[in-house]
Amino acid sequence: MSDLKYAYYPGCSLHASAGEYDLSTRELFKALNIGLTEVPDWFCCGATPAHNVDELLSLSLCAKNLELAEQVEGDLAVACAACFSRLKFTQHTLDENAAKRKQVEKAIDAPVRLDGAVKHLLEILAKDFGLDHLKDKITKPLAGLKVACYYGCLLTRPPEVPNLDCVEAPTIMERVVEAAGAETVVWTHRMECCGANFTLSRPGVVIQLSNAILDSAKAAGADCIMVGCPLCHGNLDIRQKEIEGVYSTEYGLPVFYITQLVGLACGLSADKLGLDALIVNPMPLLKEKQLL
Amino acid sequence: MIISQKTMELDVVRKVEALSDTSVRRCFQCGKCSAGCPMATFMDHPPNRVVRLLQLGQWRRILAGRSIWYCASCETCSTRCPNKVHLASIMDALRKLSWDLDGPSKESYVQLANKVFLDNIRTYGRQYEMRLAAVFNVKSGQFLKDMMLGPKLLAKGKLKMFHSKNRNMAEIEKIFSRIEEMRKKGEAL
Ligand code: SF4
Ligand code: SF4
Repeated sequence: MSDLKYAYYPGCSLHASAGEYDLSTRELFKALNIGLTEVPDWFCCGATPAHNVDELLSLSLCAKNLELAEQVEGDLAVACAACFSRLKFTQHTLDENAAKRKQVEKAIDAPVRLDGAVKHLLEILAKDFGLDHLKDKITKPLAGLKVACYYGCLLTRPPEVPNLDCVEAPTIMERVVEAAGAETVVWTHRMECCGANFTLSRPGVVIQLSNAILDSAKAAGADCIMVGCPLCHGNLDIRQKEIEGVYSTEYGLPVFYITQLVGLACGLSADKLGLDALIVNPMPLLKEKQLL
Repeated sequence: MIISQKTMELDVVRKVEALSDTSVRRCFQCGKCSAGCPMATFMDHPPNRVVRLLQLGQWRRILAGRSIWYCASCETCSTRCPNKVHLASIMDALRKLSWDLDGPSKESYVQLANKVFLDNIRTYGRQYEMRLAAVFNVKSGQFLKDMMLGPKLLAKGKLKMFHSKNRNMAEIEKIFSRIEEMRKKGEAL
């Protein structure tokens, strides 16, 4: 029995294009007996567009969400790497800069609360729950599955903010998925940018950058990619066919969320993990490796 | 444009420094930021040159170019700078400056996407990707863009047609209007 309890901030994508990340997170936490209660009426953290053009707005939206999170018992669990980064960046900035803090307090008309810890799901699995404990819960190890762990930008950068793992050579994703019995590959592009939110305004840039990532994963012999961010997922999974078309190549690399792979290893069924929502069909690979 | 006392506008540079909480004077032009920048190939002024131009008060040259609208906010530059120049925050500050002046950026698509995104928060409290993409495509005149992706995503339940009510809407509106108010009074940049 685990007595861990968290407030949960899914973020906008998990209620829309990344529904399978939300579903698999809830199911995995249930299976591991970790409490997860959604913050009531949370709103958008502002993501990249807000800090891109209006830092004060970005800080204020995040500060207000942090205040809302106080209604629920436990540290704040965040699934999306971008929300995670914005919320942590806000805590860090308001802690260091008294002038900005004053402005934000005026904007949200409340004192800023900085004491609650904000944690990405990876941290909860690897540190709070613990890898040894996790290993005990694995009933169907992902034997023979070669996974390329993709960190992208915001899980670790900038160094003084997320504090998740080493900023240039993190291993937290590898450690989690290896605990689930998978193999990991060594590859070059695990921390390169996928083009992120240019997916709307500059798809051409996304196609070029994401192609380099898929190419590197394939060259390293990976069967699939694992991510912890709905934006990275959208660019690597939803756009993969398009990328293959542009570069006249074939990758066929399923892109899983962390919670889907760990959930699978904990014996959860495909429908509880939303595997059918993935655009690059993972079923042939999972059948071939006898993981279903 | 010739770099001279006349074209050197340091007031604006100080504003950028205040907004980004970082000093451009710390930069010694090692170029490490540009070496790691995934977007440098798309930029007219790579990140290190953006900082150099700021040191020389040439902010107009940066805003006239496209570098700030090609920065993906990946934070690699800030992470690797040996002098703790927080370049990603400088990029944010420059975009805000350009936004406030409403041009002379040639890269209005990115600004448009940002605007639609922020309007969505103000109206609905959350992002609805369907609406975000639809409004962006109509406003940018690219009706058919990404049309191929639409039906597939709908079939997979990835695009929500309806939005749920958020009980904090009044609070969100207040945050937007309080910030506008503070700016009018000169209490915030
Ligand atoms: S890494 Fe830092 S010191 Fe080096 S050029 Fe870039 S901003 Fe300047
Ligand atoms: S934050 Fe922007 S300027 Fe810095 S490395 Fe990333 S894309 Fe380049």
